[in-house]
Amino acid sequence: MSLMINKKVDDQTMTLYLKGIVDITTTAQLNPYLEEITDQLKALIFDFTEVEFMDSTGIGSILNAIYLAQEMEFKVIFKGVNELVDQVFDTVGIYQILETVQREEI
Amino acid sequence: MYHGKFTAPHPDGSSHALDPFLQREIKLAKNIQSTLLNGEVPTFNGGEVSGSSLPARLIGGDYYDFYPLVNGKMRIVIGDVMGKGIPAAMLMILTRGAFRSASESTKGPGDTLRAMNQALFKDLRALGSFVTLFCADWDPKHYMLTYANAGHNMPLHISGSTGNIQTLSKVKGALVGGIPNLVYTEEQMHLDKGDMVFFYTDGIVEAQNTEQEQFKLERLIQILQENKDKSAEELQESVLSSIHTFTEGLPQKDDITMVTLKITSDNSDITSLNSPVI
Repeated sequence: MSLMINKKVDDQTMTLYLKGIVDITTTAQLNPYLEEITDQLKALIFDFTEVEFMDSTGIGSILNAIYLAQEMEFKVIFKGVNELVDQVFDTVGIYQILETVQREEI
Repeated sequence: MYHGKFTAPHPDGSSHALDPFLQREIKLAKNIQSTLLNGEVPTFNGGEVSGSSLPARLIGGDYYDFYPLVNGKMRIVIGDVMGKGIPAAMLMILTRGAFRSASESTKGPGDTLRAMNQALFKDLRALGSFVTLFCADWDPKHYMLTYANAGHNMPLHISGSTGNIQTLSKVKGALVGGIPNLVYTEEQMHLDKGDMVFFYTDGIVEAQNTEQEQFKLERLIQILQENKDKSAEELQESVLSSIHTFTEGLPQKDDITMVTLKITSDNSDITSLNSPVI
């Protein structure tokens, strides 16, 4: 089981395509992508279309990206949210947190 | 009657190569967590509660607790700290302190979660961590369960009269440590004699077998259905046994924790309690 991350940068938007398992054994792979973000970035898009499983550590990584966005003033956008990811995000309240944090930025 | 149990399945774990002093300290940490999870249990007439927790490693980040209130109600909490092992266990202890402190000064489960979020938010944010919690007050006089949710999966209600099993009416609330000043809404449900409420962490439904298939909610419901006439403690043993059978001895990937509230008669006064301020 593994996580593959493909990155696409278009203008001031970075898209991270996640494929596989986002859990305690793989989620650290996201860190280098978050570390390379500069204040030029306007939006970070996570594409979850091919995510098969996400545990609490994976959720923590997405949360930390949201906090980084709050600090560096860029948007976080979710795309390709499949049923599994939607259920996890809905249960833990990720949507509520994202909405609250980004509303505060405005 | 209450039952509290905390067991570690892998006493040898992967610690063979560890420094003996470190091994000793980990064992002491495990004992501290086990002792705190198995604190004094109150007497419960007319019903029973049981809790059990099985960490995936030597110690874990799952948490459950019972806190009887002087108004005759009993506060129940179950939670799951992000991550596993020692880091999660340290934050679990922090969570326990926040729950017990909040329970003394708050009037309902929603208020308790609000107070816990306020108390823990800065630390959890600084550590890049969070806790999901489900908190409920059982009122034995009026047979009412009042509950609030901070990002946790909804418990299951097992009807004593029909045998039907379904999740409690959904109540939303974000995890603890996400954003400050959150207000947690409450829901209520009337329970009848023979009813049970099964609180659990995701380590149960996400347990995997050799074919990487998950245990899933459907199997949990089936096991609860088959064992609904057992005591709360026996029911939990049946759930654990089914998971072990399903996983065919594979190492446990996540902490497994459950709490069962069972109403057994019309008289369910709580008689032996802690003494919170309110």
